[in-house]
Amino acid sequence: MHHSKAHIWFVWPAIILMIVILILPIFLAGGISFTNYNLGNSSFEWVGTENYEKMFSRKTYIKMIISTATYVLIVVPVSVVLGLVAAIMLNSLRFGADIYKTIFFLPVMATLLAMAIAWEFTLHPTLGIINSYLANGCGGIREFILGFHWLPWVSSEDSWYSVACANNMDFPYWLKDKKTAIWTICFIGVWQAFGFNMVLYLAGLTSIPRELYHAAEMDGAQSTWEQFKLVTWPMLGPTTLFVVTITTIRSFQVFDTIEILTKGGPAKTTYVMMYAIFEKAIQQNITSIGAAITVVFIIFIILLTFFQRYVIEKRVHY
Amino acid sequence: MGTISLKNINKSFGSTEVLKQLSLDIQDGEFLTLVGPSGCGKSTLLKIIAGLEQQNSGDVIIDDKNVNSTRASKRDLAMVFQSYALYPHLTVRKNLETPLKLRDYSFVERLPLVGNFVPSRKEKKKSIDDLVFKTSETLKITELLDRKPGQLSGGQRQRAALGRAMVREPVAFLMDEPLSNLDAALRVHMRSELSELHNSLKTTFIYVTHDQAEALTMSTRMAVMIDGELLQLDTPSEVYNNPSSLRVAEFVGSPKINTFAAQISSDGSVEFMGIKLERKFNTNSQKALVAVRPEHLEITKDSNKPAFEATVSYRENLGSDIFYHVQVDQSDSKIIVRGSPAGLISNGETVRISPSHAEAMLFETSGERTR
Repeated sequence: MHHSKAHIWFVWPAIILMIVILILPIFLAGGISFTNYNLGNSSFEWVGTENYEKMFSRKTYIKMIISTATYVLIVVPVSVVLGLVAAIMLNSLRFGADIYKTIFFLPVMATLLAMAIAWEFTLHPTLGIINSYLANGCGGIREFILGFHWLPWVSSEDSWYSVACANNMDFPYWLKDKKTAIWTICFIGVWQAFGFNMVLYLAGLTSIPRELYHAAEMDGAQSTWEQFKLVTWPMLGPTTLFVVTITTIRSFQVFDTIEILTKGGPAKTTYVMMYAIFEKAIQQNITSIGAAITVVFIIFIILLTFFQRYVIEKRVHY
Repeated sequence: MGTISLKNINKSFGSTEVLKQLSLDIQDGEFLTLVGPSGCGKSTLLKIIAGLEQQNSGDVIIDDKNVNSTRASKRDLAMVFQSYALYPHLTVRKNLETPLKLRDYSFVERLPLVGNFVPSRKEKKKSIDDLVFKTSETLKITELLDRKPGQLSGGQRQRAALGRAMVREPVAFLMDEPLSNLDAALRVHMRSELSELHNSLKTTFIYVTHDQAEALTMSTRMAVMIDGELLQLDTPSEVYNNPSSLRVAEFVGSPKINTFAAQISSDGSVEFMGIKLERKFNTNSQKALVAVRPEHLEITKDSNKPAFEATVSYRENLGSDIFYHVQVDQSDSKIIVRGSPAGLISNGETVRISPSHAEAMLFETSGERTR
């Protein structure tokens, strides 16, 4: 029997491209991470695991891990839940849903760069609209609401709002304060991500057969919550898996807002991995450390993918 | 008890009227079929009974109680859907347990984890397990209990859906074309099983179908619906042998009933295709339609019988019977005649066709029956 070799000729360009563009760089980064090579140097020495030891002993890199983890652990759950809630609410609207969809989707479509500059102005400690709005509200209804004076255990003298008003309008510095910077960045991350999740959930919701809700009703599921538990949530399983995966990966990759708003500061509280790679490898030209961070970054992503592939997917019905 | 009555139900979607002033009384323990061509509003009517759809006007009364403002889950009915609508993420066992749990467990008992510590739940769980097992035995799906709907064949899914409806004891079963997704052989088999099930359960069944064979074989009474109106409600044999209008006569029966233009003389005697009917009819009109079922026509060689001539254009062999599609000479009308398999007649042959004694039905040109 004659075996044609033609198929090899058809696939090799794709295989070569894949190796050169996708696989080789990863191994290259892996290799460089064990050297002291800097871009432009003519020679390098093997330094073993020195770069990694630095990463796990120096405070900077510990802070990098903490800030990245904080960002991912806040943005992913909050934006997924908000996206789901918004999608369910929009799905039940009879009219006006398109307007809401457009508004919520705007941050996804707009360039994050431009949006980040807008946020910078908004959150400026003295000139920003947020702090001037807070300052004007001292002693008024805004203080009552935002200072949580309506909660029985908050006294109207000790709330954060009253204290700020009393101390010469000492409102949070948002991005310039190490206590608030990462949370502000998280807020912007959620604001940016949840519209996209909402659109994915809307698509998932329309694909649930109506007869299942009828069956649930006939079976005695009366409250919206029961129907959600019995039909909506399980049927959205594949959508949720996709939404969580994509949001997690995008959260790991957060860079634009950090670069424009905080540059990793103050006191490295917003020093996320992607920004660290950029700062070390590009700005400071320490390629080997950049490569080591990249390898850790890739390992995180691969672990995550495996977790989703083997743990969550088993519980998802298709 | 399981009596359901509908009074002057109207339903329209936008400007399309789907149901027009429809009234219907369903007795306890009855197997009632709602039959009609697709788009006649029978599924909508079933959903109105279930409470999944709200009528524009009229009353739904279940067991002498007006349930117009009672929601579906409180009406205590069970429904089998055309697409089965099993919960795809749950095993068959869990699917069967769902209606019991939702109705029997209290809110606290349904909570995950916490519910396990409520003492009363244990007994209820036991009785639920027993009921699920009993139902699965009846339907012969015990070995499928731990599979998910995606791993079942069409017929098994149908049984599981039936089980989910049967597992508690509802006032009535509503079935929306439950057999239409099955293959022909299984459909015939399930017809007899459903009839047996009805006999043993003695609960009211309301069964929607477009398949008149299902309606004729299973029901105690069948309701023929066309264009949102209830045309006839009677036993299958009465509907078949004594249709109230031409539309019913044409819908029920396969192959379709044959119609002929007829002239009526002043003394009430009727003549069609050169044949004079023996009966006399009391009518003022001069023109009418005579309808004869294919099995009431025969191909005859006896020249003494009143008959007309036609040419065989197509022979439909069903094994037990042969239906001849014949072209009447000098007209476009085609008629269908049942013949016996013996004595084959080939296409193109001219035959003499004669109606059997006293089986012809007379309809006004408007479609109403004249007796």
